[in-house]
Amino acid sequence: MKQEIEMKNETAQTPELQEKQYSSFRYALGAVLAFFGFSSRTHHASQKRAKLVGDIFVYIVLLFGAFLMVYPFWWMLAGSFAFTSNLQTGNAILNRLVWWPEISTANANETGVGLFYNYKIMFTEAFVKSDYSNFHANFNYWRALGNNLFYSIVPVVVGVITSASAAFSFAKINWIGRNQVFFFLLAAIMVPGASITTTQYAMYTDLGMANNWSVMVVPGLFGSIMTAFFIRQFLFGLPTSIIEAAKIDGAGYFRIFCSFILPLAMPAIMAQALLSFMGAWNNYMGSYIFINPQSEWINMPHAMQIMSAGTYKSNQGPVIAASVMCVLPVLILFACFQKLIIGSLMLTGSKE
Amino acid sequence: MENQISASDTAVEMGGVAENEAAASAESAVPPKKKKRHINQQKLQDNIWGWVFCIPLIVGTVWFVYAALIMAILLSFTNYHLADGTLMDCLANLGDNIYVNSGGGIDPDTGEIIAGVARTEPFHWYAQIFTRTVLSTGTTDIYMNEMGKYLFNTVFYMIGIPIGMILAMFLAVCMSRDIKGGSVFRVLYYIPCVASTISIVFTFKLMFSQEGVMNEILGTNIAWIKQLGPQSWNDLYRPDNPSSSNFMRDPFWCQGFISKMVIVIMSVWKGLGGTIILYVAGLSGVNAATKEAAQIDGASAWKIFWKVTMPDLYPVIFYNVVTAVIGGMQIYAEPELFISSTTLGGEQIAGYVALIYIHGLNGDAATPAAGAAYGLFLAVIIFIMTLFQFWLDSRKKD
Repeated sequence: MKQEIEMKNETAQTPELQEKQYSSFRYALGAVLAFFGFSSRTHHASQKRAKLVGDIFVYIVLLFGAFLMVYPFWWMLAGSFAFTSNLQTGNAILNRLVWWPEISTANANETGVGLFYNYKIMFTEAFVKSDYSNFHANFNYWRALGNNLFYSIVPVVVGVITSASAAFSFAKINWIGRNQVFFFLLAAIMVPGASITTTQYAMYTDLGMANNWSVMVVPGLFGSIMTAFFIRQFLFGLPTSIIEAAKIDGAGYFRIFCSFILPLAMPAIMAQALLSFMGAWNNYMGSYIFINPQSEWINMPHAMQIMSAGTYKSNQGPVIAASVMCVLPVLILFACFQKLIIGSLMLTGSKE
Repeated sequence: MENQISASDTAVEMGGVAENEAAASAESAVPPKKKKRHINQQKLQDNIWGWVFCIPLIVGTVWFVYAALIMAILLSFTNYHLADGTLMDCLANLGDNIYVNSGGGIDPDTGEIIAGVARTEPFHWYAQIFTRTVLSTGTTDIYMNEMGKYLFNTVFYMIGIPIGMILAMFLAVCMSRDIKGGSVFRVLYYIPCVASTISIVFTFKLMFSQEGVMNEILGTNIAWIKQLGPQSWNDLYRPDNPSSSNFMRDPFWCQGFISKMVIVIMSVWKGLGGTIILYVAGLSGVNAATKEAAQIDGASAWKIFWKVTMPDLYPVIFYNVVTAVIGGMQIYAEPELFISSTTLGGEQIAGYVALIYIHGLNGDAATPAAGAAYGLFLAVIIFIMTLFQFWLDSRKKD
């Protein structure tokens, strides 16, 4: 019976295949398609070939995309070596730059400037000599760098620890009203920052916090809700039995937090701290809104903006050098901890 | 018998784990009151320490978000200037500080100053959002008030969201094939996300200048970023003004189109990496067994993507869209850095948030009350948009 059916099938199929006549063009097309991994009626492409061709296509796309992602950074680096201090040419050299400046600081012969001429200007003159009226006379690059480090280390380190303690409380301690308080805090992220900025500015002015360091530091010390939220998610994965055991051995909650939770949740805490550090390092808006440009407490991005809009508007070489120096620390940090950061992003599903 | 009871009593006094054991062995002997008190002690500890650990976060949130929000709501009804005194004084005497419209003005027919009846207008700033106009002499073919113009720009920048979503999805699918070096690409694509906006804007500004790289590569001569001079905006808009170019006579929605596109390109470029990582994470969570089953059943790769992968990815996409819209409504720094919006030239490309800052943070002339009202209006818009998205989401599930 079974054989009969098979026989029938064979007899039914074979004449059909033989009957179908393909033109030589269609046949050649099929062969070419099969070579590139596409099966058609004339030729069957192997799975291996299909995968190989797909991989090559994907590599081309990804490499092109990666080039687009990296090229502006290369441009920035090359641009920082463009010699723009000549009044006649000025920014024209930067404008024409594609791979390497026509007149770079290395071959600008007349004064024998070094390769790092723009960096030298930036470190010594650019942040000081600028006669833009908004610019503080005593201000210099190192002050901006120090401010930026202060604003991005102190609030981040303290803030991450306060966030972690709150996360510990929300994840591992049972107290009355815990969930209500948590949702009360979580609801705060629905308030758009821009909506309350002017009121915050008036409030900080009242408290004497505006126009000095405290406005960039104090709000960060209290931790952030999103950081607490992600560390809490991580802590849910830790076994509660550790805490129970510590409790039975007579450890208080503070001790449990310091000697168990902080070390165990270190990957999550580190990732959140690094992300907050990068956010604080690049925080242009905070300084721009809350700190007077004449103040010596402005941070690096704000100082760069003032520098770029002032004397160095037609001599952008030092500005680009400053951009490189602003991006570099974050890139180095990212290169060192990329596994941790990307892993945390993939785990928590947050871009911040 | 008596010995046993006394033994168990001592065990209770010793406390700890031994207590439970002893209590189990001599249930009748242990006073229930004592056991209950021990549990209460533990609960008390939990409650105290629970609060202690999260009190800094609560204080910070209440102080910097909720208190500021309540103050913003109260402030939006007043006519407060920073020079008037402290914010607290103003809010403490809220009744006296409600915005007062003097009611007077200049008679349009006779030109005489007339004294009117003063009346309080608590919703003055809210009304101003809808009525205040920039172009008092404008005769462009579509007439738009201040809020409409700025809000239009904000919405215009949102075309970057779908572009970024589709690009990121395509690249994430490419990356999640089992090729060598997939994680390297992930890192490379994420680099723009960590770089500071200001450095990138400086770079893009020069790359997109008229003699810059972009025009050289494309072989074009496009003025990507249009900077307007310091002339009065209203004068420039008059069609009979000889110095007003065709560009200025354009309706508001054409102005600065190319500059806005550059900003869209920049934000897509900068935000792509983060979205890709979320999608790659989502794609790795897609059920492999279902995929394989579909493959065996002879479904094409295209069909598998739409019928198996996309439904599994839906939560990630939804989260992405919601956060992107919330973030996109608050765009400020990029247009501000490209063309300063505090000068007149920036109006053509600045988003809605610029309006809040122009009114609320403008040095001595600032009216934080106006800024608060404009900001609350933005918060309401964002809230409604988010609710709308969740409504769409719930409809999809039915």
